[in-house]
Amino acid sequence: MAAMAAPENTPVWVNTSRCKACDICVDACPAGVLSMQQEATSILGAMISVVTPEACIGCQECELSCPDFAIYVAGRKEFKFAKLTDASKARQEAIAKNGYRLPTDYKEAN
Amino acid sequence: MAFNYDQYLRVDKMPTLWCWGCGDGVILKSFIRAIDKLGINKDDMCLVSGIGCSGRFSSYVDMNTVHTTHGRTIAFATGIKLANPDKHVVCVAGDGDALAIGGNHTIHGCRRNIDITLILINNFIYGLTNSQTSPTTPRGFWTVSQKAGNIDPTFDGCKLAEAAGASFVARETVNSPKKMEKIMVEALKHKGFSFVEINSNCHINLGRKNKMQSAMANLDWIDSITVSKKKWDEMPEEEKRNHLPLGILKQDTEALEYCAMYEEVKKAQQGQRGVITQDDFEKKI
Repeated sequence: MAAMAAPENTPVWVNTSRCKACDICVDACPAGVLSMQQEATSILGAMISVVTPEACIGCQECELSCPDFAIYVAGRKEFKFAKLTDASKARQEAIAKNGYRLPTDYKEAN
Repeated sequence: MAFNYDQYLRVDKMPTLWCWGCGDGVILKSFIRAIDKLGINKDDMCLVSGIGCSGRFSSYVDMNTVHTTHGRTIAFATGIKLANPDKHVVCVAGDGDALAIGGNHTIHGCRRNIDITLILINNFIYGLTNSQTSPTTPRGFWTVSQKAGNIDPTFDGCKLAEAAGASFVARETVNSPKKMEKIMVEALKHKGFSFVEINSNCHINLGRKNKMQSAMANLDWIDSITVSKKKWDEMPEEEKRNHLPLGILKQDTEALEYCAMYEEVKKAQQGQRGVITQDDFEKKI
């Protein structure tokens, strides 16, 4: 298999020169790991960012659904992924409701 | 370990020219994973694409590629396959490319059952030229050429290919990239004409006037009109009409493959055997 090693201690990483900010990966993520952020110089004025890497469950949904070869997920041996929690689900819901951007005043519900 | 697609891509052409969220990229990724899974050397492969957004496929994959005229992918691919019977030939065409202007080539490629894999990307519209009605545009949709709503009945590409004689027919959507990869693996392995229809999104040109402005909304709509083959079989007739079955719809490994018969023609021409007669075929007409 044509494989790519993950950067150290990183569950998800992005090639920002390829990302077109289509929101698909943010919609696909079940754990609220990804969010769009304002970036004036990119095509749609937004750019993907990994906001809570520690919550990543390693499901690879974002990588599979990305049409632009921009986002990658580490293998199970490279990173110890978290389990899907209610706090992650709530954060994902908040991100999806707020136009795929993490609300600036968002507080974790513990 | 993440999958490294760059090995199969012309990375200097990245990022792709497709719109943000276009399903073509997901299809290209699944196709690359399928080649990698089968361990096919990229030099043993030829990708032929026509005109349309899907035509860009040949620009992005790092293998032998031909970017041909509108609708003539099967015609070019037939020639390439007959000259190189041991190589894999893959056609990528859009719904307008393969069912409208190249409709005739598609049905005759299916009829010959030549060992070509056709990946038909069906986005239900002419996307590249900005929203004209294509043969698969659903009735009642707004298009530039039918602003009062489309009244044309639609083509079912899979039924067409099945009736025309393709020996492998399958349909999948961009919603499930893993299933798509599996189907492409089966299609590439199959000896004979493999027809794979992938339902893709075009939220820019199909969705903008049809209440599907985002890629996610368009993908949800595709999800709502497709069901697995098993579920589709159990549906009542009136529901079947408004849904498309997914999965492998036909797989006939017994059918005669065209390149194998063409070898016999070559032998006959070189005097190594007598001319081909009706006795060479089980199915005579």
